[in-house]
Amino acid sequence: MSDITHDHHDHRPSGWKRWAYSTNHKDIGTMYLVLSMVAAIIGGAASILMRAELHEPGIQFITDPQFYNVLVTAHGFIMVFFVVMPALIGGFGNWFIPLMIGTPDMAFPRMNNVSFWLVAAALILLVIAGFIDGGAGTGWTVYPPLSSADYHPGMAVDFGILALHLAGASSILGAINFITTIINMRAPGMTFHRMPLFIWAMLLTAFLLLLAIPVLAGALTMLLTDRNFGTAFFAPDGGGDPVLWQHLFWFFGHPEVYIMILPAFGIISEIVSTFSKKPIFGYLGMAYAMTSIGVVGFVVWAHHMYTMGFNVETRAYFTLATMVIAVPTGIKIFSWLATMWGGSIKFDTPMLYSMGFIFLFVVGGVTGVTLANAGVDMAFHDTYFVVAHFHYVLSISALFSMYAGFYYWLGKMSGKRYPEWLGRLQFWVTFVGVNLLFFPQHFAGMAGMPRRIIDYPDAYAGWNMVSSWGAYVSAVGGILFFVVLYKTLTSNVKADANEWGVGATTLEWTVDSPAPFHTHEVTPNVAPEPAE
Amino acid sequence: MKLKKQRSASRVGAVVLNTEKENSRNGLTAVVLSFLVFSMIGLAYASEPLYRIFCQVTGYGGTTRIAVFDNKSSVAENSITVRFDANVNKLLPWRFKPMQNKIILKPGEQAMAFYEATNVSDKPIVGTAVFNVAPFKVGEYFNKIECFCFTEQVLLPGQTVQMPVTFFVDSSIVEDRNTKEVNTITLSYTFYASDDQSEAENLSKISLKMKKSINNPGETQIIQPG
Ligand code: HEM
Ligand SMILES: [Cu+2]
Repeated sequence: MSDITHDHHDHRPSGWKRWAYSTNHKDIGTMYLVLSMVAAIIGGAASILMRAELHEPGIQFITDPQFYNVLVTAHGFIMVFFVVMPALIGGFGNWFIPLMIGTPDMAFPRMNNVSFWLVAAALILLVIAGFIDGGAGTGWTVYPPLSSADYHPGMAVDFGILALHLAGASSILGAINFITTIINMRAPGMTFHRMPLFIWAMLLTAFLLLLAIPVLAGALTMLLTDRNFGTAFFAPDGGGDPVLWQHLFWFFGHPEVYIMILPAFGIISEIVSTFSKKPIFGYLGMAYAMTSIGVVGFVVWAHHMYTMGFNVETRAYFTLATMVIAVPTGIKIFSWLATMWGGSIKFDTPMLYSMGFIFLFVVGGVTGVTLANAGVDMAFHDTYFVVAHFHYVLSISALFSMYAGFYYWLGKMSGKRYPEWLGRLQFWVTFVGVNLLFFPQHFAGMAGMPRRIIDYPDAYAGWNMVSSWGAYVSAVGGILFFVVLYKTLTSNVKADANEWGVGATTLEWTVDSPAPFHTHEVTPNVAPEPAE
Repeated sequence: MKLKKQRSASRVGAVVLNTEKENSRNGLTAVVLSFLVFSMIGLAYASEPLYRIFCQVTGYGGTTRIAVFDNKSSVAENSITVRFDANVNKLLPWRFKPMQNKIILKPGEQAMAFYEATNVSDKPIVGTAVFNVAPFKVGEYFNKIECFCFTEQVLLPGQTVQMPVTFFVDSSIVEDRNTKEVNTITLSYTFYASDDQSEAENLSKISLKMKKSINNPGETQIIQPG
């Protein structure tokens, strides 16, 4: 197409070396996406096993309750650290940060390779943690004393800790890479206030990673030494306090939920703008809404700990601070709606998923503001109401943004056009499935059904059955996704360089599809007026 | 940003990046960011002592106060029940229990309670007790005047000691709208083996020499508070 791509320069190593030693941001991005899909199959299988077990009251086929706990734990960890983060951050981040800011590659390509292989090793360790010594059944929050040597005496929790250390190290290296790239290597003319919102999102995510992950790493190390070397950071019978773990975990944990959702915000902003054929409404407001969400996200952590005995003043503060986050979040929702307002919208699969995202995120946001009230949360904490909240606002929202981004960029990454009708079918199956799956959990939770337990009284049977059927439908949606992927990769319908038309204005649409191995070797200039 | 414009612009203002200068700038950025990472790890570890100090200052987590009893302080009208709880780390071979289940007193009055500890092992051991009260919010009103938990305790093999704690509940507990409904407070202790066992080691050397000349095993003493 234009002279800024040089296909004839496409020399690259072949065979396994291309992948194992890769320093190319696109190849590494692809590897992250593949890892995420593999992990999604494992994590998804765990969730289907759980829903099948909960299909009816009583114990169905998981005879060892600890195995159910292990499934809960593995599902949570795998989805957070090995599905959502690798796809949204490692996958799309690596693929599209350089393409969108107009630079040939990441700042530290070799470090990028290390990041990927660390997270791959971490996934293996985590799976091992599920199988040795009865498995780690601590939940993703790993609260002591349940996670201490008293209740998890085997090696499983130690393997889990090691896995998280590796995944954390990978994230930190990746974040340093992203920030350096975005700060120093933007194309001339692309000032901070002219960066695509996806780049804003990735920059903020990387900063949150740098501030939050080390705290988790520190806390995990303390837990490891408590378990194995006789320290007592979290053991009261040694002068420690298990509540300190909760503070450290949630000081990491709350920003972590934004680490997963900010990239989604970025992707949704790009897609909504593209398919409404309009620039995003309130660009600067969007950018600074994300910034303030990131900042305020560090001072609300104790809304996860309302029941552990704070005095009223403390709970009032955390209630207020938590609700403040709803303000920038609302700004984002209204800006998306305003962008769509009056636009000539094309309802292709990426846009369907983006609108699905906005719907799910609003539902989850409403229950979030409900839970933010310390008084209400006394009743709802650790019930299925919380499960419904965070799956709406985080888990399936993030999943929808991943699907959206994947359909949006699949042509750019593979050079092939996915079959649109199949994409839409996949969307509708998934949309019906996840709502059937998680909406009833609000009712079960309000009726008091506790989370993370293998069995429940008969009173909860109805909604659980509906929920389980929803899970099976969602799984069909997941399988359909792989069908779409297979059909796309084996089809011969070529994707245009810019398959979405005038709405798609970011730099990745200026290079060929599939994006050549080397892009932007000559830096594009995006100054409003050609510079010099 | 219009696509057309970008493309034509890219022809005009093409710049080649990745110069050496750029690399050193990247290096600097990475160094600054790594510094951030290490300070956050440091902060995580610093949180342990900071948290302890924070709790001592504010009474969070049911951390009690140390105070001198003031005879002139006012006494509240309604009585409050103080219950006693005892725990032992499973690695410490001691028996440890309160000698009374509860004491009923008025806020502002001083009281004394006893705990009893027995070393059931065959060697001297130094133990330390940690403590708090529940509900957590009354921590700032629960004052200890003297307590066996202020110092480490050394118990010889088979030795039993009775250990006092003198305390009072600050009468202003009834003026705080958050705490005035509290009518029961649980005071809890957990004993664990101290890190520093040198005192016990010295004692076991001495007791080896002097055999039974020190305390007879099985004999109960009352230790002096403080
Ligand atoms: C409007 C903004 C939000 C508010 C007011 C809010 C409030 C809360 C509260 C109070 C809880 C604790 C409930 C409990 O455990 O009893 C909670 C849990 C949770 N929230 Fe939110 N939330 C909001 C948005 C989000 C977002 C955007 C995400 C992620 C993208 C998220 C993810 C989670 C997760 C994962 C949990 C459960 C963690 C666990 O216990 O395992 N929330 N939320
Ligand atoms: Cu939170």
